[in-house]
Amino acid sequence: MVLSSFLRIFKFAWQSFWRNIWLSIATITIIVLAFISINSLIIIKLVTDTAINVIKDKVDISLYFRPDVTESQVQEVQSYLTSLTQVKDITYVSQADALENFKRLHRQDSVIISSLDELDSNPIGATLQVQAKNIEDYPAIMEVLNNSKYSGLIIDKNFDDHQLYITKIKNFSDNFNKIGLITSLIFLFVAALIVFNTIRVAIYTHRSEIAIMKLVGASNWFIRSPFLMEAIFYGIIACLISIAAVYPILNFIQPYVSNFFLTEQYSITNQFNQYFWEIFGLELVAIILLNIISSLIAIRRYLKV
Amino acid sequence: MIIFKNIQKIYPPDVDALKDVNLHIKPKEFVSIVGRSGTGKTTMMKIMTAEERPTKGQIIIGGWDITNIRPRDIPILRRQIGVVFQDFKLLGKKTVFENIQFALEVCGVDATRSREVIPQVLKIVGLTGKEDRYPIQLSGGEQQRVAIARSLVHRPKILIADEPTGNLDSINSREIVDLLLKINEFGTTVVLVSHNREVINSISKRVVALDNGTIISDQKVGKYIL
Ligand SMILES: Nc1ncnc2c1ncn2[C@@H]1O[C@H](COP(=O)(O)OP(=O)(O)OP(=O)(O)O)[C@@H](O)[C@H]1O
Ligand SMILES: [Mg+2]
Repeated sequence: MVLSSFLRIFKFAWQSFWRNIWLSIATITIIVLAFISINSLIIIKLVTDTAINVIKDKVDISLYFRPDVTESQVQEVQSYLTSLTQVKDITYVSQADALENFKRLHRQDSVIISSLDELDSNPIGATLQVQAKNIEDYPAIMEVLNNSKYSGLIIDKNFDDHQLYITKIKNFSDNFNKIGLITSLIFLFVAALIVFNTIRVAIYTHRSEIAIMKLVGASNWFIRSPFLMEAIFYGIIACLISIAAVYPILNFIQPYVSNFFLTEQYSITNQFNQYFWEIFGLELVAIILLNIISSLIAIRRYLKV
Repeated sequence: MIIFKNIQKIYPPDVDALKDVNLHIKPKEFVSIVGRSGTGKTTMMKIMTAEERPTKGQIIIGGWDITNIRPRDIPILRRQIGVVFQDFKLLGKKTVFENIQFALEVCGVDATRSREVIPQVLKIVGLTGKEDRYPIQLSGGEQQRVAIARSLVHRPKILIADEPTGNLDSINSREIVDLLLKINEFGTTVVLVSHNREVINSISKRVVALDNGTIISDQKVGKYIL
């Protein structure tokens, strides 16, 4: 009984779909556009978040110590810095390691290498690479360090201010979100209107059947449910199409993203897939709800039982 | 079986379709309702099937006060009342069999039961053998008989026919009326609305005459007046 009535409702929705095929295509297209617009928002959000994290991870301060500063003095500075709440991590590069790094960096340059070999003491001091918990904390750490008794031990501090990039990315993402949100809302609103109209037309197309159903005493839900099902049907099909559409879009933007991150390892598709069920599950539920609401309004207005 | 108590119907804003109608139709009765166009005959039908609510008064069908019937109970009422109209209301894309089956199907009757019931009602209306025809391949009288067959599938206690012969010639009209009389003999209460003097005069049953929204005469064995 339940199965057969489900089959009936499904069959009705299917027939209704074909009966006004152009209207069905228009309805589905507009819902797909709404989905694509929303998914673009999500993709941009994922990419910019990742970009900001990548940049944040790259930011650190390098403290270059004078060559005559001893290891224990450096370690004292390290433990002092570790005690600061803003500091997340400190990497210690010993004098010997620093020299190795320097040599490796300049191994093509025989003049530098040979003059280094002539020296009997290591001219390169140790380095501390300090990472803050938050990118906003770097100025404070610098401040503390400058006012401490250790400032004399340090010859040079190197801090690349990536804040600018981050602000730029954030601005871009905020602006995109604003435009995207408005576009998505417009699409959703139009989609709701079109679903309403499509159901209205379907009711009109079936007016003689509806009149007879009422006449012979079909229950109200029996008469209404196929139209509801039809609206749900459009949502499901549109959702499937937008799933199929999202991957070409992701593949299309992948080269640009790789280029930006200077790495082939980051896959936007993989990251999107992590949220697959959240994204499409929510979208499906939302569109079904939206379609139910607009078709119920159409049914209430045009299908008096 | 059917009781109209002080029924008044005003269509918004101000069409006075029925004014204080009182009518008592007993079980198994055959009642004809006559009257000029626009006097409220169809309105009475619609009140009986709960398609319209009376503005005032009380309407009782088979002991059930449907004056303020809940929308979800309307289908239950309609399965107990067969209705036929002047314009048959058949689906052109369905065969005779499918048209009748449709009425059963939409009320949740399964196919096995349908195949039992449909030959029975087709036999009553005398259309056995024509189940695979489409409405367009039938005469007007035959189409109306399909509509009557369809109205009988739930074995209604009441059959309401609103100008069933309106589109038919006198021979076909006669056949339809004979069919309604036969159905009445089986024990169904029949309410017939008709304009057709010849038809009404040949029936020799109760005739209620309506004018301007009020009952002006009610005769046990009536003739068409006006
Ligand atoms: N839905 C409606 N809204 C407003 N007025 C209506 C409506 N239905 C009927 N009327 C009016 O109510 C009056 C009675 O109409 P009704 O259909 O009951 O007449 P009738 O006796 O069946 O006429 P006919 O013999 O022409 O079918 C008429 O004046 C008609 O115009
Ligand atoms: Mg009428």
